[in-house]
Amino acid sequence: MIAQTLDIVTTAAILYAVATGLLLVFGVMKIINFAHGGLMTLGGYAALITTQAGLNPWLAIPIAALFGAVAGMAIERLVVRPLYTRPLDAILATWGLSIIIGQLITILFGRGVHFAQSPLSGTLDVLGESYSAYRLALVGIAAALGIGLTALLQGTRLGLETRAVIMNEDLARGLGINSGLVRFATFTLGSALAGAAGALITPLSSVDPAMGVPWLVSAFMLVLVSGASLLSLLAACIVLGGAQVLVATHFSPVLGGLTIAVLAAIILRVRPQGFARD
Amino acid sequence: MSRIASLTVGVFTLGLLAGSALAAGDTITIGIPVGLSGANSVVAPSVVQASELAVDEINAKGGILGKKVVLEVADDASGAAGAQKAYDLLIFKKKVDAIVAMETSAARNAGLPIVNRGKIPYIYTSFYEGRSCNPYMYINAWVPEQQVAPIVDYFNKQGAKTFFLIGSDYAFGRGMLAFTKEYIEKNGGKVVGDEYAPMDATDWTAVLAKVKAVNPDAIITSTAGGAPNVTLTKQLRAAGIKVLYGNLAVDEGTARSMGADAEGIYIAGSYFTNIDTPANKSFLAAVEKKFGNDLKTPNELSVPQYEAILAYKAAVEKAGTTEAVKVVPALAEVSVEGPRGTIAMSKQRHAPLTMYLGQVKADGSVSIISSFKDVDPGEQCPKLK
Amino acid sequence: MTEARRLSLILLVALAALVAVAVGPFLLDTYSVNVLTRSLLYAAVALTVDLLWGFLGILTFGQSVFFACGAYAAGLVFTHMDFSGSNALVALGLGVGGALLTAAIVGWLAFWHGASALYASVITLVLPIVATQLLYSGGTFTGSSSGLSGFTSFDLSVEAWFWLAGSFLVVVTTLAFVFVKSDAGRLLVAIRENEQRCKYLGLDTSRLKIVVYLVCAVVAALAGYLYAGYAMVVAPELASFVFGTELVIWTALGGRGTLLGPVFGALIVDYESAQLSGSYPFVWQLIIGVVFVLVIVAFPRGLLPVVFDIPRRLLGWLRPRAARAAVTLSTLDLAETQGVEPGNGPALAVSGVAKRFGSLTVLDAIDFEARAGELVSLVGPNGAGKTTLMRCIADGAERSAGAIVVNGYDIGRKPPEACVALGVGRKFQMANVFETLTVAECLQIARARHARPSLWRRARDLPLPKAAMHVIATTGLDRQLATPAHLLSHGMKQALELSMVLALEPRVLLLDEPTAGLTKTERMQIGSILIDLTRKQGLCVLLVEHDLDFVREISSRVIVLHQGRIVLDGSVEDVVASELVKQVYAGSGHAGIAHETASPDRGSAEAVSSAKREMPV
Repeated sequence: MIAQTLDIVTTAAILYAVATGLLLVFGVMKIINFAHGGLMTLGGYAALITTQAGLNPWLAIPIAALFGAVAGMAIERLVVRPLYTRPLDAILATWGLSIIIGQLITILFGRGVHFAQSPLSGTLDVLGESYSAYRLALVGIAAALGIGLTALLQGTRLGLETRAVIMNEDLARGLGINSGLVRFATFTLGSALAGAAGALITPLSSVDPAMGVPWLVSAFMLVLVSGASLLSLLAACIVLGGAQVLVATHFSPVLGGLTIAVLAAIILRVRPQGFARD
Repeated sequence: MSRIASLTVGVFTLGLLAGSALAAGDTITIGIPVGLSGANSVVAPSVVQASELAVDEINAKGGILGKKVVLEVADDASGAAGAQKAYDLLIFKKKVDAIVAMETSAARNAGLPIVNRGKIPYIYTSFYEGRSCNPYMYINAWVPEQQVAPIVDYFNKQGAKTFFLIGSDYAFGRGMLAFTKEYIEKNGGKVVGDEYAPMDATDWTAVLAKVKAVNPDAIITSTAGGAPNVTLTKQLRAAGIKVLYGNLAVDEGTARSMGADAEGIYIAGSYFTNIDTPANKSFLAAVEKKFGNDLKTPNELSVPQYEAILAYKAAVEKAGTTEAVKVVPALAEVSVEGPRGTIAMSKQRHAPLTMYLGQVKADGSVSIISSFKDVDPGEQCPKLK
Repeated sequence: MTEARRLSLILLVALAALVAVAVGPFLLDTYSVNVLTRSLLYAAVALTVDLLWGFLGILTFGQSVFFACGAYAAGLVFTHMDFSGSNALVALGLGVGGALLTAAIVGWLAFWHGASALYASVITLVLPIVATQLLYSGGTFTGSSSGLSGFTSFDLSVEAWFWLAGSFLVVVTTLAFVFVKSDAGRLLVAIRENEQRCKYLGLDTSRLKIVVYLVCAVVAALAGYLYAGYAMVVAPELASFVFGTELVIWTALGGRGTLLGPVFGALIVDYESAQLSGSYPFVWQLIIGVVFVLVIVAFPRGLLPVVFDIPRRLLGWLRPRAARAAVTLSTLDLAETQGVEPGNGPALAVSGVAKRFGSLTVLDAIDFEARAGELVSLVGPNGAGKTTLMRCIADGAERSAGAIVVNGYDIGRKPPEACVALGVGRKFQMANVFETLTVAECLQIARARHARPSLWRRARDLPLPKAAMHVIATTGLDRQLATPAHLLSHGMKQALELSMVLALEPRVLLLDEPTAGLTKTERMQIGSILIDLTRKQGLCVLLVEHDLDFVREISSRVIVLHQGRIVLDGSVEDVVASELVKQVYAGSGHAGIAHETASPDRGSAEAVSSAKREMPV
């Protein structure tokens, strides 16, 4: 019972960490960045290089974020900006990009499976259950991420401009807000978050050229179902992530893998705003 | 698009396509479809190297029936669609005399109808779930009947009574564990859990929760290679599970790269690099000499490829011709001395094999605990001779 | 070029293609025949992707699933039930039936009235993921990851399969080509361009999308069936997201929206990949990825159209291009017009209508009636709720409370297309037409609700109701029939939209700022047309306007809205003289404004409710 609750909480935290970057980009630019999976993979390999270079594994996270940010800047300028008015084409182009990223990584690193060292190993005793310490740590990291992002959006000028662009871009531009800059900054931040997420999940699994793909579909279903709010994303992660764990445990892991996608599709059909508050 | 344009394209394309086939002169060509991209791409280079070594050695001794042997490698993308293209390329364009293939079951299944059309001998060299039968096909790698017994018998001897089985939800995973379950129960054990995760799953949380709840004496797993295998082990260890752990799907190379997490895992196979026989030692020396720094460690999937090519040579020499109708029956009658011992594909198109039980050590190497000579593959293709 | 010549030319090309298919196996080597047989079937599926994406605007990643439906039906039946003639038919039925069922479910999920294009694409993305997982989990029944192989199939030679696949592709392509060039095919483009306008022209766009989707599913399933028969193997990767995306890539490279582009794109890329991927496995994927991104960003029309622009331009110099086929207009006989039968009571009765966005009330307690022959102007300062009221009348799902009765029929919660069927025609504030279609084509689409467009022909005559003809003649649109709408001047676009709406034969005409941006002459024209419509044709016109002079000239009645409520409902003189209206427009505080009651001869609330009745089915 406790173990299952911990499973649900940690799964929700992991999904949240993975999906925030995607949510930001979707909210501001109204496109689904299919390159998110590729950027996560990039982050994973950045973490790999970091630990192989002998540095402290915790450093892998900011380094991966940096890699992600740089890649994001390039992608926004070269691919996303020209497709400003064609959102469906932007989805396709970012999908093409993730193929390119995957193939480049394969050429550089080979197709083998690698391991990044975990920053935190062993188990912790929580309420009588011994549970993976790193998973528990992820809950804290995801929470910090959420709080940090919220503070950024609510407390800074850029955050205010971003929220304005999310709500009504034309009006924001009319008021003198440089929406191009906001988009650029958002995409960079979203890519940095993707890279960091990639680094965060490597201790749980492994690093290989296709590691981002299974997360991509779940992440963007979660984003679609949350609209543009970090809070509703949290709600979605808990509800859908919890459903995934429950289905996987009590029915079969195979059905569990499908739960998020199918449930999200049905929720959107029934209530198009998803988890957003109207 | 204007209609004139479309006609032009049509004619142009037809012109492109009128290609010429390679003339098959006085060489014998062996086709190697392998997963240069896709799921098998990690192991494909070692398979190609093993094939090249075999061909080198054959040619050094004068070839087959005096003719030089040539290899044609094609990418099957580790899947059905790619395999169809690869087989069409090899059989109908390159006009190979035989195919020796290490590939996924999906690729093999897709290639077989084309082999039937091309009517050439076909040796499949990858371990698989068993019971695939085709008039032109022979298999020299292991099937579940051969690989499961060593681990289960050993665990039984260690006093394990309850077993938990974990697998990836695909043909091989299900086939292996189905056989394992049967074998355990036939030998007095009890299977207390039987869980499958999707083939590309990397999140084993739910499964591990069940394992912890039930607390078995031993775990036996058959997960897809690559990420699923590796992530299961990692997460198992992270969750603090320390029971007897037999992994039916991991090979030496992956075990080594898993580092400390892999220590203590029991694995079984027909080939380990530290098999102490003269044949293996000379094989390893030869392969190191040929490839030097580029050497990809020989493994369970590449060594049978080497032996299969030698078997083909023997069969052609016995039949006196490369004609399939003579070579195919001859393949059942020849035997080869390879790194894995004496290999003859004599039991319903499959081969009795010497199986080894090993345990992974802290430094990643495998120590061989025991060996079982000439384990029978069982009833695989009773309808074929 | 006459219809007969056009169609016979298409047929001729199709025959030539069939001849090419027939000779193919004799000119090509065995290897190419083998590979191309599969490529031909993949190309047929790519065709369906183009129909859905290039023409209808639905980006779909899931056509692979329908291909797998057909293939697995054959694989499963032939493996578990042996091969026979009757079993082959059973398998065909199962494959097509399975595809139809799946497509119906996806259609219900993805193409309902409120769904966005993104949501639809996402559903088509989830479909292959679910399908592959189901196939993996099927154990020995579906063959799981290894697929099913070694089953007996039709005893045909490789050449026969090539002919079968080739003729299948030629037939499907020809039919699709005839369809997209027909009047009905133009509907697809109209929906892709401006779905909202289509809805407000009375077209049930959801149903149209679902029908096209079902047809495409069947074609893909047939291709899959043939594939399984030929290859004698089925594997889960046939249903995969990867294959689904490959189809999209081929379509994008070949040129979306051209039909022939994706077909040739699929053939060429699939054929070449067989050769090249063997030699350069990783690099080939990388190249495809880069080319794909490049095409999306820089050459959205695709590569083949770019390649063929050169010969086409050369031909253009040699032989001047014929102007787009002109269409002749004619006036519909009044007896023939299938206008909506008026029910009892006023043309439009609005009672208690309110619209709230959360806690913000935009409209409240709107009560009024309008009869046929009245020209009611709706005025008020910005933000008063005028356009919102228009929306509520034209779309039954919009309002938060109250009832709206049009021609005696309660609109209930009906979507816009159903409201059009009841007799509502809405003209938008911004000229809302089909930018890439010509004037004639726009008008044809406007008549689609009344005159079902042909699935294979292009009509040369376009009969229009008198009202529409009047507008077209007065504004000079009849001399611009072949001009694409985006090239029209602003005033002409407004006139075009007005004629399109009039072509619907509405009884209640909703006009949102029809004079915005017009010159004085154009305004006078529109004014006299509107007066004509109400006096001679008996329409009821509801007009939102800011130009108070214009309102004064043409209206028979004026309703003043302020902050979501009616403050005055009376004749032009009443309003002009009213102090209240001056206050409202001058912007003095709302606290002191009393809402004047309606004049005595307006219908009471009881009369409205007795006139309400449900629309008979």
